[in-house]
Formats: sequence, C-alpha cells, structure tokens
Amino acid sequence: MPIKLKDVSYTYSQKTPFAFEALKHVSLDIKDHSFLALIGETGSGKSTLVQHLNGLLLPTSGEVQISNYMLSIENGKRKYVDLNKSQNKKYRKKQFDIRNLRKYAGLVFQFPEYQLFEETVLKDICFGPKNFGATDQEAEMMAKEAIQLVGLDESYLSRSPFELSGGEKRRVAIAGIIALNPSVLILDEPTAGLDPQGEREMMELFKKIYDAGKTVILVTHNMDIVLKYVKEVIVMKKGEMLAHTTPLKLFQDEKFLINTAIEPPFVFKVARELIDNGLDIELDKIKDISSLVKEIERVKHE
Amino acid sequence: MNNIALGRYVPGNSFIHKMDSRIKIIAMIIFFVAVFLTYGSVAQNFIIYGLLFVILFSFIKIAHLSFLSVLKSLKALWVMMLFLLLINTFVIKTGTLAFVINGYEVYWDGIVRTGYIIVRLMLMIMLTTLLTSTSKPLDLTFGLEWLLSPLKLLKVPVHIFAMTISLALRFIPTLMEEANKIMRAQSSRGVDFKEGKLKDKFKAIISLIIPLFVSSFLRSGELADAMETRGYDPNGKRTKYRRKYWKSKETLQTVGCALLLACFILLSVYKPDFVSLIQGWF
Amino acid sequence: MEENISVELENISFGYSKEVTNIDNISFKVKEGEYLTLIGHNGSGKSTIARLITGLLLQRKGNIKIFGETMTDDNVLKLRKDIGIIFQNPDNQFIGSTVRDDIAFGLENDCVPEDEMEGIIQEYAARVGMDEYLDKEPSNLSGGQKQRVAIAGALARHPKILIMDESTSMLDPKGKRGILNLIHKIKENDPLLTIISITHDIQEAYNSDHVVVISKGRKILDGTPDEVFADSKKMIDMKLDIPFFKKLNIELEKSDLSKYKSNSLESLVKKLCR
Repeated sequence: MPIKLKDVSYTYSQKTPFAFEALKHVSLDIKDHSFLALIGETGSGKSTLVQHLNGLLLPTSGEVQISNYMLSIENGKRKYVDLNKSQNKKYRKKQFDIRNLRKYAGLVFQFPEYQLFEETVLKDICFGPKNFGATDQEAEMMAKEAIQLVGLDESYLSRSPFELSGGEKRRVAIAGIIALNPSVLILDEPTAGLDPQGEREMMELFKKIYDAGKTVILVTHNMDIVLKYVKEVIVMKKGEMLAHTTPLKLFQDEKFLINTAIEPPFVFKVARELIDNGLDIELDKIKDISSLVKEIERVKHE
Repeated sequence: MNNIALGRYVPGNSFIHKMDSRIKIIAMIIFFVAVFLTYGSVAQNFIIYGLLFVILFSFIKIAHLSFLSVLKSLKALWVMMLFLLLINTFVIKTGTLAFVINGYEVYWDGIVRTGYIIVRLMLMIMLTTLLTSTSKPLDLTFGLEWLLSPLKLLKVPVHIFAMTISLALRFIPTLMEEANKIMRAQSSRGVDFKEGKLKDKFKAIISLIIPLFVSSFLRSGELADAMETRGYDPNGKRTKYRRKYWKSKETLQTVGCALLLACFILLSVYKPDFVSLIQGWF
Repeated sequence: MEENISVELENISFGYSKEVTNIDNISFKVKEGEYLTLIGHNGSGKSTIARLITGLLLQRKGNIKIFGETMTDDNVLKLRKDIGIIFQNPDNQFIGSTVRDDIAFGLENDCVPEDEMEGIIQEYAARVGMDEYLDKEPSNLSGGQKQRVAIAGALARHPKILIMDESTSMLDPKGKRGILNLIHKIKENDPLLTIISITHDIQEAYNSDHVVVISKGRKILDGTPDEVFADSKKMIDMKLDIPFFKKLNIELEKSDLSKYKSNSLESLVKKLCR
C-alpha cells in the first residue's frame, strides 16, 4: 500500500504571531517497494514532511494517505477515513488508533541513541513491539531477529544500552524500529557521525531491507549515498517540493544543482569530465568508485 | 520552529517595564506587606484593599497587560476558594448570623475571613503578574542577586545561585525541545502520551524521563568543561558585563517606596477611623 | 631559526579507570602557527587528548608542555588562558542567554574591565559574522551559528592555541563549510595562532600542515599529509577515510589498470582520454 500526499500544507504554531508555514502544497506519490532519498537544506521542510508519513503530524490542509487510511483536518477536527471500509465512515478519536500508522511506517529520527532507556538492550528493542500488543515471547523473537539484522550478536541483548559505544547505541535504536516490522522504513540521517565502515554497513542493511520488499526513505545530505543506493530523489526547498526524480537525472541538471546549492558526488563529476573528454563510459552505470573503475576497465579492454 | 515565550514575560515599553528590577522587587515586597496588614474594622480593611486594588489595576493597565489573565488564574482556583468558604463557615461560628440554609448556620465572621483570603489572593496574583510580566527573567535574577548580596557576608554563595538560575533559564527552551524530540521518537515506537491505562502512562513517562535525565547529566558535564576551559572560577573575582546603574531616578523610586511603606504601617498602627470620616462628608 | 613548540605531549598515558588504558604512551610536538589535524576512528582517544591538553583530565604518566612550560596543578589555570577550545556540541558550550552574554562570559572570567567589554564583543562577533545576531537567544540559532559564537568567545580571550574538538561533526554540510572557511580566514589573519583540529574530515587533514593519526589509544603516524597518506591501505585498516584519488588508485591497481593511477583530475583525464 502506498503513501500519497495530496496538496499538503503544514503550519507550525497556527493562530499565533509565531506561525510558520513549513510545508507548502506538497503532492507526492510513494509507491510500494521504493528506495527514496529526501534532500534539501536545513529548514526546507524535510523533517516536517517525514513526520506526516507516520501520522505524527496531520496536515493543516490537504490529505495524507498512509496504507488504507486517509488523514486530514476538516473544520479544525481530525478526519480519518478507512478506504477499505464503506465510504465516508468517520472514526471518532477513540475508535481510530493512529498508532497503527506508526507500525506501518517506522520512523527513526536523527541521533536515535537518545531514545534508549530500558535496563537491557533486549527490553529496549522489545518496547516497540510490546506497545503494539506483542507478547513477551513474540517480542523477544522479533528482538533477536532485529539485533542480528543490524549487525550485533545476541550477546548484546543482556547488556545495558548505556554502556555501549555511540555506534552500537545507534544500531540498537534502529533495531528497535525494525522490530516493529514496518512496511516503510524512514530514517533521518542514519549515518551521521559514523566512520566509513559503519556507514557502509548501515547502508548495506537498508539495501537488504529494500531488497526484501519494503520501502526505505532516507533523509540525507550525503550525495555519495544518494548516487550509490537510492532509486528516487525528492528535493525540498523552503517548504516546497522542487523535484521528484532519479539520482542520475538530478546530478545531470546543472542549472538545478546551482539553484538548489546541491553538490553532486565527486565521482560523478569525475565521470562527467572523462565522458566530456571522449571516454566512452556509461554515466548511468556510475554508482561509486568501484563501478567507475569497472566501466573504465570495460572500455579499455575493448 | 516554535518560539516559546519564557515564563510570562510580555515585552513592552511602559515605565514599569523600564523600571529597575531591584526597585520592582522592593516595591512588590512592600505591597505584599501592605496586603497582609490590617487597618481596623472590616470596612476599613476592605477600603484599603480596594485602594490597593485600584493602584495595582492602574499599574496593570499602564503596563498594557491583560487583566483577564489575572482573572483566569483566579478562575483556576475557584474550587479551592469554595472549599475554603465551606470550611470557614463551618468552623467559625462567631459574629452575627448571616443566614441559614437547611438548618446550616452561616455567620458573618466566616464569610469575612474567606473574603479576606480571596481578596488578598487576588492582590498577590496581580502583584506577581505585574512583576513577572514586566521583567525579563534574567533581570529578575540580577535584581535578586543584588538584593541578596549582603548574605555574602554570611558566606552564603549568592553569586553561585545566580549563575545556577541564569543557566537554568538559558536551558529551559533547549530542554523543552529535547523533551519534544524524545516524545516524538517514543511516539514513533507506539507510545501514547495522552491516553491509556495507568500502567501504560507510567511507562510512557519513564520513556521520556530517563533519556531526558541521562542527556541532562551528560550535558552538565560538557557544560562544566566548557565553563572551566573558559576560565570560570565560581569563587574567583569576575567582572560583570551587564551592569545596572543606580541613578537619581532609582533613589527617588526607592524613597517613594519607603514612604509608601511608612504610610501603610502608620495606617495599620493608628487605624484612623476614616469610615466615619467618609460618612461625615455625606 | 628555531621554531617555538607551542604544544608538546611527552610520553602521555591515561585511563578513565584503573583497569583501562585509553591513551598509551603518546608523544608529539606542535609548532607555533601550525595547523595540526588529529585523526582516528571513533573511540581512538582523540577527544581525550584534547581534554588532556587543556588540563581537564590528569594524565597517569608523562608531561604536557605549553610553550615549554610543563603543566602542573599550580599553573594549569594560568596556562589555560592561552588555550581556547571549541567542543563538538553547539548547545552544551553556549552559556550566555544571548550571543552577547556568551561572548562576555569569557571576558568576565578574565576580569576584563567593564568599559572595554562592549568593544571587544562587537569586534569578535563581526569577525565571525554574527554581529547582527548579538541579541539572539541560542534557541533561535542554527548549530553553525552557535559554533561561530563559541569561536568568537574563544578568540576574544586572545589565545595562542585554538583546539577544535570535532566542532563540525554535528553540523550540516553548509554549516561545516562555513566553519572551515572561518578558521582559514582566522589563520590568515593570525599566522602565529596554533590550531589543533580533531576531525573526521579527510580533506581538512589533507590540507593541513601536520597530521597525527591515532588508533586505539596509540599514535600510529605523525608527519605531513603527504607522508601520512602515502600508505592508504594502513588508513583503511584503521577504519579511516582516505582522499578520493587514493581510493581510486587502489581500485585501479586491483583491476590491473595501474598505469592510469593519478593524483588529480587533470592527470587522470590526460591518462585515460588520450
């Protein structure tokens, strides 16, 4: 089930002198099994947008469709419509549990280490699933799966999260969301502050999750990651969605890059320069340094 | 980004806003004393309290503040006031009988006592609103530090308290934002901060408080390092960037306050019978 | 002509507790006016070294020397006056309630006369580009802006040594660039200022005067960027990032294309596109 935004706008602190329109008429279609990057400067509306995808925020105008639920605000009141059931059936606040959306779309904020609080890693990872009704055994099973997925072995489960290193804490926090088994995984700068190997391992994890059929959405400033891993890019600026395109098309549009102050990855610049000087490599095969070298190899061995 | 108005400071340009915070605190203390003194008979007391009300009300208007917000604070206390009324009328059976309801006797003294409490409460709320709405929190801290500085002679570390308070004030918005972030993160893990059984609500609060405490401890460690490396010595000599001057305006205002205090004390001691004075006019 | 050594670590060892050794016998010298970058994987001990240099931590063994003077309990406060340090978290070193008050904090501690403070605050705020924000509160500033204020506050005390402890790690790319440019400008204006930058940014290290590589509490490499980055494989083993062309050359070698190895885009183009 996809996520759709229809003409969504969001204003913080409405009806006060501090009102700030963070999102302006954003319309967006996210299909199943996508691997997306959301890019833009700080303040462009990325984190506001992302909080609409799991129902943390409801639009001040427009509609958000998550899974089979349509969310909007009508006359100041929240309106939830279940598209599976009969038309126009409105839920009262108590009947509709918006938390279901949090399970469908798992959101990991930046520096998620600070959300850890339980006595053991196991308990912390189980916290999410238990909030959604999992039994102790079910939650433990999901925790064991999740901790291995993030590259830590089961011995971590009995340790206190507070004695772990920063990188380990981050993986535990991400495991806590993965354990919910969301269909959509949204992460805000998941590799910020990690060393190169940590970054690579984390991205390989997300690729695995995508390959398994889920949708992965990354908010990032790292264009190397955008080029190497994702299939689609959404560009935000000052609350507006400027583009929904592919990495290749994005990095080739020089005017757009200048206008949005986006720097393409260096490997891309190098490839362009080589192509401009007559080397017959294929630009869409360039994802990182090793793919560049592979292309060079192919051309030179012909 | 949400801008949080700190405390209840309402920016403005009135002479009260511009008044030195030290004088404001002194004046508030004087008015507090006036509110709690008695001036003779019930009628005389209420006349003086009425006078105080008029004075404070005009100050509130001069400072362009909303009297409605004062009333709102009182509204929040109406349950307590009703409770007080019931207790006082139940316990106090002196004075003349006011009326009887279903055999329940209500005497005037009980009503009057409650009346005093309610009026004093209102005057106090007006006073504190005046102070906190017209003074920036840091100015108040400065004022308090200055006024408490004689305690330094008794080895009370007033300057350390002042630094602690100003640091706390500086970090309130930061901590609120951090709490907000943590709540959003935990909400994304299925926590409901609004509804739920008691057990769940408890867990929800724990999932907010523990990370907040942990990060606050770490933060204070880093802050201490930063302060140390910038040369901070809590017991050492320091100059002060934000100075307050004491000019003739301040002296005048202080003298004015002293005179005011003297008036109220005299009224309270001699309890002049101005009720009959006023009656004599008509 | 002998150059002054502004900072010297002489056989420094340190552990956060008795059982562990976080810093194992590290020695290096920093010349006056030098831009030193200290690099190493997360947890290698880089920030610990910064804390040892500023006397926030006491070493188990060895000496810290600031301009030849060995740091002891008695002179640490005096020596600290010559050292400014900018930490990683922009919020946790912002003490004043406004930009003004924060820059003034250090001046107050130094007992600068009140009449002189205003001028100093204006001057240093302007130097970091924050003169229009003097009355702003930290909750209304971005991370990059807060770090600028921290730099202004440090410089206003006229330090001879400026330590940047991963000061750009928590900033977005724009903020990072801004701070790096600012530091370069400051260095130009004050050639005698020694800068010690603890960083993950491999480009910054490449452009510095002197690089020290730390791994698991030990010093592994110490020299100019060219010397240090010559052994790329070693850097990768230590989980460190390496400059683009070094990475490229390693890949070219793997695919038997060593003849195209280059150190710049121009030479790569020349070799490949003949």
